[in-house]
Amino acid sequence: MGPLAPNGIISENTNFLLAFFIGIGFGWVLESSGFSSSRKLAGIFYGYDAVVLKVFFTGAITCMIGLLFMSLFGWIDLDLVYVNPTYLTSAIVGGVIMGAGFIMGGFCPGTSFTGAAIGKIDGMVFVLGLFIGIYGFAFTYPLWEKMYMAKYLGEPKISQSLGMKDGLFGLLLILAALGMFAVAEWAERKFPREEY
Amino acid sequence: MKPLKLLALIIIPLGIILAAVPADKTKRFRLSADELLQEAGAGAQFISPDVVADMLVQKDPSLQLIDVRTPEEFEAFSLTGAINIPLSNLLSNEFTDILNQDVRMNVFYSNGSVTANEAWMLTRQMGYKNNFVLEGGLNYWFGNILSAQAPSQTSPNEEFAKYDFRKSASAALGGGGVVAAEGAATAPKAAKPAVASKAKKKPAGGC
Amino acid sequence: MSNISKTERSKKYLNPYLGGVLLGLVLLAANFIAGRGLGASGAIKSVVATSIEAVNKNAINTMPFMAEYAQSHSGSPMRSWLVFEMLGVLVGGFISGAIAGRLKLKVEHSPKITSRRRLVFALIGGTLFGFGSQLGRGCTSGAALSGMGVLSLGGFITMMGIFGTAYALAYFFRKNWI
Repeated sequence: MGPLAPNGIISENTNFLLAFFIGIGFGWVLESSGFSSSRKLAGIFYGYDAVVLKVFFTGAITCMIGLLFMSLFGWIDLDLVYVNPTYLTSAIVGGVIMGAGFIMGGFCPGTSFTGAAIGKIDGMVFVLGLFIGIYGFAFTYPLWEKMYMAKYLGEPKISQSLGMKDGLFGLLLILAALGMFAVAEWAERKFPREEY
Repeated sequence: MKPLKLLALIIIPLGIILAAVPADKTKRFRLSADELLQEAGAGAQFISPDVVADMLVQKDPSLQLIDVRTPEEFEAFSLTGAINIPLSNLLSNEFTDILNQDVRMNVFYSNGSVTANEAWMLTRQMGYKNNFVLEGGLNYWFGNILSAQAPSQTSPNEEFAKYDFRKSASAALGGGGVVAAEGAATAPKAAKPAVASKAKKKPAGGC
Repeated sequence: MSNISKTERSKKYLNPYLGGVLLGLVLLAANFIAGRGLGASGAIKSVVATSIEAVNKNAINTMPFMAEYAQSHSGSPMRSWLVFEMLGVLVGGFISGAIAGRLKLKVEHSPKITSRRRLVFALIGGTLFGFGSQLGRGCTSGAALSGMGVLSLGGFITMMGIFGTAYALAYFFRKNWI
């Protein structure tokens, strides 16, 4: 009965070891999908490469479908699975700042590691920037503390706040994503750029 | 066929199935029937009223008394610091935080010990720990703590020690009288709202 | 003819939908095994916390942001799920790149800008992202991807913030990419 670690079925050390292997899978898939290239990552914002959209949403949907089905079969207790908390203010402000960082840097933390792993110097420099940013935040924390803790709404699910069942929201998300994929593929054909 | 079409062909039916199947709201049992039988038979969930009285006198903060009777009975009389969770509401989500935690010691009580023991069995089966049953319930409490009987002259010393303790405890707890209603006069009447305790076994994550 | 196809093959990536499904399965495994999703920025936070502790043992307790982090992690801050996961990411990315022949030390940048300009922007972008990830309690992997996988509202909001802002600012940085 999952999840294994919160239920005590595996020890903390086993959990860490498996984390390493999960990470290998994560890095492997990211790199194989082209996420080690900042050019491909930025492509979604200019139309020429929709890999970010496709991989991201397909990934989220696959996981969501998997979790919901596992819960139906009684293989996992969803109450024990971590759901990100919602602190409204800092979620938005943090997202905006990260968005700026994304379009400027062309990476996000996970992909920058992947890029650095295959020798991309811009990836390594991005990682350096991550350190600077986090040190900066830690040392100036008192300035942001109020915003950081503002508007705590608990750990609501999107389906909860829309007042619908998880399964129904899942279906709507699937349909919305497929629509976005169709538009993205059209854009890829309309705004091509050569590889470099 | 185009990958997008193939993907759509697979995930749309899956999504429809998920949307159609009703959500599973049942609470799962964590203990098997055998395990529960063993624990119930051993009786380790019972806690002596002397121990509880002592904790009340010492104002021990780790104690949390839970009255599982009806709200009317709770209003009429309740033990110091007790909150009211009627047995019928025991499985409601708003009380999960109080019943499933490892910070305080919850002690169920009722008039006898049948209802309190039922509460214990239910919460134990859900895998919750730190829940106990007040042995003898309120009936024993009144008879033996609040209006402690002096032991006969030929009783062993421990009986006298117990009597002394119970007498002072009952004084501290507003007993001394025989009737239940008087005890209520000194006990805080306001029914404490069940506040969710912070200590919960929550999965960690983030970033 | 064979020269061209070799370059094509070395750059050949997985079909994005297939990649997405595989990514989703990795995320599903993480949720099933550890009860939590993937992440990245948190691992850096662990390293930052460890370095602060190494320099001055008490400093970590006087910094409110780090103190609550240190409390929730018994032992060294490096003993965190994300640190092990990110080490795996490095290995996995390396192996995939090696198999596909994509291992090469270089600065990837548009031919229209210098590599120095690319690196400057990478540094600024990383700094912003690092800072923002702490506010947002996660990055695209932890908050957006994993959050969406469990239908978290907070994760969804952060994801909208990231992508919405990137789209809004895309015009101003187009020279760097196209």
